[in-house]
Amino acid sequence: MKRLSYILSVLVALSMLLAACGTPAVNEAPAAATDAPAMTEVPAATDAPASTEKTVLNVWSFTNEINTMTVAFEGKHPDVDVKYTLIPMTNGEYQTKLKAALGTADAPDVIALEAAFVKEYVESDDILADISDLIPAAEAAKTYPSVLGVGTNNGVLKALSYQATPGALFYRRSLAKEYFGTDDPAEIQALLADLDKFTAAAEVIKEKSGGNTYMVGSSGDFQNPFFSNRAQPWIVDETLVVDPMVEKYIETAKLFRDNGYEAQASQWGEGWFAGMNDSLVDAEGAPKQVFSYFLPTWGLPYVLAPNAKSADGAHDTSGDWGVITGPLPYQWGGTWMGAVQGTPNLELAKEFITFATIDEENLTNWATGVYTNEFLKAIDPSIPDDQKQAAGDFVSSQVVVEKITASFDDSDLSKFLGGQNSYGGFAAAAPSVNSELMTGSDDAIQRALNDPIAQYLNGEGTIDDLWATWKDALRVEFPDLTIN
Amino acid sequence: MNLANLKRNYYGYLFLAPFVIAFLIFGLYPIYNTVALSFTDTTIMSKTSHFVGFKNFERLFADDIFMTAVKNTWLIWILNFIPQLGIAMLLSIWFTNSRLNIKGVGIWRTIFYLPNLLVPAAVAALFFSLFSYYGPVNQFVVRAGFIPEALQFLQDATIVRVLVVFIQWWMWFGQTIIILMAGMTSIPIPLYEAAMVDGATSSQMFNRITLPLLKPILIYVFVTSLVGGMQMFDIPYLLTDGRGSPRSSILTNNILMYLKFSSSKGHIGAASSVGVLIFVMTSLCALAIFYFLRDRDQQSQ
Amino acid sequence: MFNNYKLNTYVMRALIYLILAILVIITITPIWLLIVNATRSTVQIQQGIAIIPSTHALENYNILLGRGLNLIQGFTNSLFLAVASTLVTVYFSMLTAYGLVVYHFKGRVAFNNFIVVLVMIPTQLSIIGFYQYMSKLGLTDNYAALILPLIANASAVFFGRQYFESMVMYDLIDAARIDGASELGIFHKIMMPLAVPGAVTMGIFAFVSSWNNFFTPFIMISSKEKYTLPMLVQTLRGDVYRTEYGSIYLGLAFTVVPIIIIYAIFSRYIVSGIALGAVKE
Repeated sequence: MKRLSYILSVLVALSMLLAACGTPAVNEAPAAATDAPAMTEVPAATDAPASTEKTVLNVWSFTNEINTMTVAFEGKHPDVDVKYTLIPMTNGEYQTKLKAALGTADAPDVIALEAAFVKEYVESDDILADISDLIPAAEAAKTYPSVLGVGTNNGVLKALSYQATPGALFYRRSLAKEYFGTDDPAEIQALLADLDKFTAAAEVIKEKSGGNTYMVGSSGDFQNPFFSNRAQPWIVDETLVVDPMVEKYIETAKLFRDNGYEAQASQWGEGWFAGMNDSLVDAEGAPKQVFSYFLPTWGLPYVLAPNAKSADGAHDTSGDWGVITGPLPYQWGGTWMGAVQGTPNLELAKEFITFATIDEENLTNWATGVYTNEFLKAIDPSIPDDQKQAAGDFVSSQVVVEKITASFDDSDLSKFLGGQNSYGGFAAAAPSVNSELMTGSDDAIQRALNDPIAQYLNGEGTIDDLWATWKDALRVEFPDLTIN
Repeated sequence: MNLANLKRNYYGYLFLAPFVIAFLIFGLYPIYNTVALSFTDTTIMSKTSHFVGFKNFERLFADDIFMTAVKNTWLIWILNFIPQLGIAMLLSIWFTNSRLNIKGVGIWRTIFYLPNLLVPAAVAALFFSLFSYYGPVNQFVVRAGFIPEALQFLQDATIVRVLVVFIQWWMWFGQTIIILMAGMTSIPIPLYEAAMVDGATSSQMFNRITLPLLKPILIYVFVTSLVGGMQMFDIPYLLTDGRGSPRSSILTNNILMYLKFSSSKGHIGAASSVGVLIFVMTSLCALAIFYFLRDRDQQSQ
Repeated sequence: MFNNYKLNTYVMRALIYLILAILVIITITPIWLLIVNATRSTVQIQQGIAIIPSTHALENYNILLGRGLNLIQGFTNSLFLAVASTLVTVYFSMLTAYGLVVYHFKGRVAFNNFIVVLVMIPTQLSIIGFYQYMSKLGLTDNYAALILPLIANASAVFFGRQYFESMVMYDLIDAARIDGASELGIFHKIMMPLAVPGAVTMGIFAFVSSWNNFFTPFIMISSKEKYTLPMLVQTLRGDVYRTEYGSIYLGLAFTVVPIIIIYAIFSRYIVSGIALGAVKE
């Protein structure tokens, strides 16, 4: 009995000791990947056996997209073995795992970061390594300023992307002809060149269609364009700043709702998709139409094109679309890559990032569909059958974009746009996108706005209620922020 | 107590040993970590952190939103638990009643248990789809004339609460039936036989035999449902936008915790304080349950 | 009076069957819709709900395979993890619970309360701390970190304790002691067989819980070879911009089928063996 309690107390002491070693709250120095506390065994996941052949590079991502590049990289560097780990981020697993693993021996070397949270990581001083020595190469490749802007904090570059994701406005050509007499992109762009014109056009459409055609699916569709064109970021000097563009957005949303310019088909919902292929019907079964969709580069191949055909095949709007820059330039989505601070393979990590996001050959291959499954399997036969990169992704290097735009003249996507070169459309929009205003808190701040706006649009409460509710919500999530 | 009994009782320690050891190794540290964090301003995005005493807790109590979360969590749990226990109990009684002799009990029970096997994400996505503005429910109720025009169901606080309550009930009542039946079928049949011989009615047998002998199991159901209810997260999180919308009507304790944890800097210290408070609140309630439902005449052997 | 009794019973039974039928419809409808989705393409799913199955099941299956998801390996991983978790949970929890009910030792009440209190601790937040702790112990990417902690599964012990309290028979135990059986022997040979309904119930729940849990394994496990089936299905959600909903639903359907089978096999044991008359009058 005495022995039992003795054993128990030893175990308690041991646990406490281990706990003390592990408490993140008390650690001063970050536990670098190569450090190991004396009493534990050390499986250092990033170390490769020093003597044998290949160096191992650990890359974590939340899609299998980048895996294509890791295979291509291995093709160019036979002495490197890239270990790719996919952790989805639908329920936050990816971010949670990152937060848990960074600072331990299991941390990866390179991580992918999605637009919604990339700025958080870039703004933190302790997570991403400084890759500013890649700037000259990026400048040579003419990486779009918006891409560089997102990955830079206080002048230090920490993340780069292989994509640029400027936003555009896709419109239905047949509806444009009906209501505006033309479907030529240049002319439509002139008609929708700024917000006032855009709103005026909405009224025209409503009148001429008898309320059966909506300008957009929902006011959420143009939230991004508005917010991307603020003069000030959300946070200045630890204080919340409500830019006039935000107020204008809410005003415009209210106008659109009250006048019936939008279909109340929230993005990513059934109605929103149905509007793309003209199968939208209201609750009573009357058919309705949506004139335009705000979508970024990736929206065309991944969202619009697949949904242009209705599920039962009865409707098909392929070929009936055109693309213009729209009233406001904006940016939506994108995947950045950064190197983890403290990784022992920093040089290799930087090489990989350079290859993926700056290297002209890689980006060209990526965008023009050279990376077919066969091509990749020739380098690594063990990859899955659907690992490939179809042509059309809009890359971040202006040099490459200019080089390959013409090759998209006859592509399927261009046929989808009634012969208009999709790549050219995006190339026109890309340089003017401004990413200076992005902060890591944007996503949370903007999301907190959605429900108060929805209630306001539904007629529940005044605009002051909206601001009050929103600010209360923000006080919960941002205790350090001054909110007036 | 004689010496033999005394020595024998020490066996209790032996039986407990594996649990205790495993807990000390695996369970103690996370608890200590969470509690320690709740007294700091640690964020995930930076490595600096400071001890701030009770500031996190003070802030919580000063915040309306904490009371909202607590209120919502209780409301949703109670509305879900009462029908759940009621229906599960009713069904369990019917299924174990030899006079009624319901056929196919195994099949019924399996069907009712199925919802518990599904991933909440899929269920939430389904209901989201069903009740969206252009979804089938709207189409049905408008064309059938129940309402004049389509509603934004998922933007109405009451409707969303009802949906969450329904989904929770749907997912758990089958499991409750299984637990109750496991308990009921453990009650020796001779007890009922003797009671019937003595002329007891159904309800008398239920009140005097079933309920008392089922009490430990009922306590289990009550407490675990309470704990689960206080920490309800998946469905309210996945059904709307993860913030308890509309109007924070389904913002539960755990969603509040998650909001603090996942917002840009990742205020894990503040989030941990929510966790600690949830724990304290649940413990007090559970201990109250134990107190009120304790056996007043329990004798030790 | 006899006629009334019979009539009452018939009426009750009819009523009950009706209620059961309604409950079944309410229970099954959402599940049916999910199954139907497994046979539809992503585009169809994005554009609405359907009651009638469509024809894309094979297509969805091919997408699953095309992702290079080794479903068989995922399945065996899940099976191993779930079986190990279940055995560990059931055995040690029943052991601990038995100890708490049958033996009256110093600190027993305190420990009882402690167990209940443990059940109430929210564990969501501790995952990060747990990971870092396991990392120091070198147990990341290792099933042991998922299985061993279950030896101290407070919730299961709580259930076991309540269950034993409601059915333990001290006369049996005393009888066995008089016969010279050891304490552990009594537990293993006498009480556990009688506790089969409770053990099976606990086991089913433990199995389902382990099988469906993908969040914790995602945090603790890194090697794709060790990914369980639900984890593999979740990686389909990995593509942010072009989620293949059809194959996700099909994968979810695959994930559910094994647990239904396990449940179907073991649910008969939930009925007590007491009816076999263990206690001799």
